[in-house]
Amino acid sequence: MGASTGKPRPIVVSGGGLAGNLAAISLANSLGQGFEIIQIMEPGAPPEDLVYGHAADPEIYNFLRRAGLGEPALILATGTSFSYGTEYRHWPGSGGWMQCHHAPFPTIAGIPLRHHITRAGLALEPFLISAQAARAGRFAHPPSDPDNDLSGAEYGYQFDPAEWTAQLDQLVAGSRVRRITSPIVEVAIEDGLVSAIQLENGQTVTADLFIDANGPSRRIIEAAGGRFRTERTIRAGLSVRETQQPGPPCLTIEADAAGWTSKAHLQTAERMIRVGADDAGAEAPSAVSIALGELSEAWVGNCVAIGHAASVIEPLTPAPMIMLRRDIERLLELVPASAGMTVERREFNRRFLEDVEHIRIFHDALFLSVSAPEEPYWQAAAASTENAKLQRKISQFGNRGILTSYDLEPFNEEDWTIAHMGLGRRPEHYDRQIDGLAAAESDQALARMKQSIRQLVSKMPPHNVYLNRFKQYLRRQNHA
Amino acid sequence: MGRISRICILGGGTAGWMSAAALSRKFKGLDLEITLVESDQIGTVGVGEATLPHIRLFNQALGIDEQNFMKSTEATFKLGIQFCDWGRLGDHYIHPFGDYGLPLDDLDFHQFWLRSRQGGNKVRLSDYSYPVLAAEKGRFRIPEGDVNTIGSNFGYAYQFDASLYARFLRSYSEENGTRRVEGRVNDVELDGETGAVRSVTLESGAKIEADLFVDCSGFRGLLIEQALETGYEDWSHWLPCNRAIAVPCESRGELLPYTRATARTAGWQWRIPLQHRTGNGHVYWNEFISDDEATSQLMSSLEGPSLADPKQLFFKTGRRKKFWNRNVVSIGLSAGFLEPLESTSIHLIQEGITALVELFPIDAIEAQDIAEYNDRMALNFERVRDFLLLHYVATQRDDSEMWRYFRSMELPDSLQEKISAWTARGYVLKYEFGTFLPPSWVAVMLGQNLVPESHDPRVDRYDMTTMMERLERIRMETAQAVAATPSQAEFLQQYGAASGSRPVLAAGH
Repeated sequence: MGASTGKPRPIVVSGGGLAGNLAAISLANSLGQGFEIIQIMEPGAPPEDLVYGHAADPEIYNFLRRAGLGEPALILATGTSFSYGTEYRHWPGSGGWMQCHHAPFPTIAGIPLRHHITRAGLALEPFLISAQAARAGRFAHPPSDPDNDLSGAEYGYQFDPAEWTAQLDQLVAGSRVRRITSPIVEVAIEDGLVSAIQLENGQTVTADLFIDANGPSRRIIEAAGGRFRTERTIRAGLSVRETQQPGPPCLTIEADAAGWTSKAHLQTAERMIRVGADDAGAEAPSAVSIALGELSEAWVGNCVAIGHAASVIEPLTPAPMIMLRRDIERLLELVPASAGMTVERREFNRRFLEDVEHIRIFHDALFLSVSAPEEPYWQAAAASTENAKLQRKISQFGNRGILTSYDLEPFNEEDWTIAHMGLGRRPEHYDRQIDGLAAAESDQALARMKQSIRQLVSKMPPHNVYLNRFKQYLRRQNHA
Repeated sequence: MGRISRICILGGGTAGWMSAAALSRKFKGLDLEITLVESDQIGTVGVGEATLPHIRLFNQALGIDEQNFMKSTEATFKLGIQFCDWGRLGDHYIHPFGDYGLPLDDLDFHQFWLRSRQGGNKVRLSDYSYPVLAAEKGRFRIPEGDVNTIGSNFGYAYQFDASLYARFLRSYSEENGTRRVEGRVNDVELDGETGAVRSVTLESGAKIEADLFVDCSGFRGLLIEQALETGYEDWSHWLPCNRAIAVPCESRGELLPYTRATARTAGWQWRIPLQHRTGNGHVYWNEFISDDEATSQLMSSLEGPSLADPKQLFFKTGRRKKFWNRNVVSIGLSAGFLEPLESTSIHLIQEGITALVELFPIDAIEAQDIAEYNDRMALNFERVRDFLLLHYVATQRDDSEMWRYFRSMELPDSLQEKISAWTARGYVLKYEFGTFLPPSWVAVMLGQNLVPESHDPRVDRYDMTTMMERLERIRMETAQAVAATPSQAEFLQQYGAASGSRPVLAAGH
């Protein structure tokens, strides 16, 4: 197999957007000369794909770095800014909270932080360095010293998918990926497998494996037999406003009766997405109708769908970007070792559907406290299906702050704790072990923690100042 | 209703005293009264003298001094388990506590090794494992420094005398306020309304009431089964061995830092070296071998004279339908039985205790806590079951009825899928919650001759020569690290963990 059998095995990536470029460069970097990577693209710039949203979670850092797109390039060559998370405002049933990224929470006397907070009847946010810094509009890179409180402040990015796509475009162009720019005319199927793709320029492209990164057109995966199931539809529109300097290191999502508006604070622009019910008349002229849902199988025969060809997730959290990253990671781990690819297909689909479910329950959890509003957007969102895993998570947390987890979830225990508490879920009880620790002792520890975070935040520079300094530093490094 | 404040632990074996030790420590200073009922007339099973590395976390959380604990329990260090005659007669391999080699660019080391075989590499994967090589040479030291370097990227556990461990934890628990009551339970009184256990009455007439009972009464499940009739999920169609004979013998030869499990025609035999003696046992399926024959196979294979009469055990593999039912939590053999092939008996006790501490009732026994506990433990048991079953089905043996039975067995889907993915490309289906992580699966599957047909194509991007050189460097560094490691006996001395007790000798010697 692989390198030893002489002629390279072709893998075709169809699509020239964010998903297609990321897949092409990642495959080219991960695989040796035993594989030829071919990318087929439509002529012209890829259409604006607002469903990726503007939020990327902390794990994107390593993923992009491996693709060859390091943080210096993101900050210097695109308008990407830092993100501690998303601030939800006026969210139905809660008011609002800062859904920040955070390293594992500290314990006091060996007992998890949340139990101390529950006993003391306090809010969680003052104990989260990333939440406090985000609210103060300040940013600094976390130090590696685990004793420094700032090391808990994990961060992701606020970004413009088109800019990342363009950066990746350059990387792919300079790589061994063979690119063909021509529209697809026909997808030929033989015995349930994609046998060839006919292009308008007359070329016929054959391969062992086809990656469909064509977004919602699902050009190849649907020809191969993939079926998309729509969960619900939304209407979404994008607007952009130039700014002099970046706002806070977090996104904001503001809810209202008809839906919500997210705002990302990039270096020189604010990018806003407006989401409402599909039939809600007057919206921005650019608004489009979007079907949320996923394929029942993302890998069919010899075709693997990734990105929005595989699943379309409401850009309410970094989930759309998390899912794209996981689609590609799953693909890299399961590039077929032989022509059969049965094992790979089954495992890919198992993990794909688990990821879909685990993302869905995190999103559904945001709508659970919505008390039957009349407005169509909220009604549709809150009408989500019953899910046993979600029920268990909610009831266990609500009862005594137990975090029920499943294998390899995209949202970790910290994400869940912050969401639960942000949405106003207070455990009825706390861990009984804590009764062995005098309340005064735990109160003191909590007060110290809060004070230390407050001090630390006051010393951090504003997001825009930090970005400018960081860019100067990077430019000096580039010159040196 | 007031707080849950009266806890009764029934049974004083390993499970009972581990439970008492953890509960009395974790809830120290609370208004909690812990009573443990045990009878000197009822022997403990004491099977499961070998442990997994997780036990160290249990001991650490209790603040137990390692040297003191080792001396008190005649403990030896354990780097893994050696499996003999499992894949084929004459085969042997060690399942180590630790990963092989070092990963590169997030790719598993075993994938590089699989590819290197195409380049003519004949070196075993085990030769890139510090714990395997150290075990094979009878050497041991504590892992130090960076856990990502060769010679430190491993874990270790212990082999100890389980009844001495129970005794050790007894004094620990009593110091922390656990009250021990001697006596046999004569009667169990249930609450007419709720069906929960209200009290147990001892032969002496003493009556012990409690809000929560921890049933550590062993196989019979005095409360969970005899009183509450909870029911048992029978797994004997997958793991059919149903009896065991256990006997200690005099130590012979070097003190080995690993447990041995040797496959037999109708079961398997364990060998567990302690500081003062060696524990042995034969687990078998009585369908294909008589008790006498099983006993004689065991006795004739002992390395030294036996130190006691062989003890017979009867069991049925499986698990209680509910580990926690009403106000009774079953921990230990009352919760379920999985043969001690991978030293999971004490580990599952530990998992049960950890879950109970986290879900410990406050004002009342709540259905939600029970459900969470039962879900967690069910997953734990099921994943251990799959791993144990792997040992029986990853085999080329067909020399007896038992092995032929396994060769024609239809596997649980979860296990079948795991084996398929491995044999196709050396891919290990991962999970986050379960005892055995991917390196353990690699060890057993490869050790029992399931060699993948292919490997992860990503390793093909590395230049073969450079890759072979890297492998060779890792092999040499591993061998050097082992060469610089003292023998286990030496290390026990210098570490201050040697019990100093004389080897136990059989009468007449």
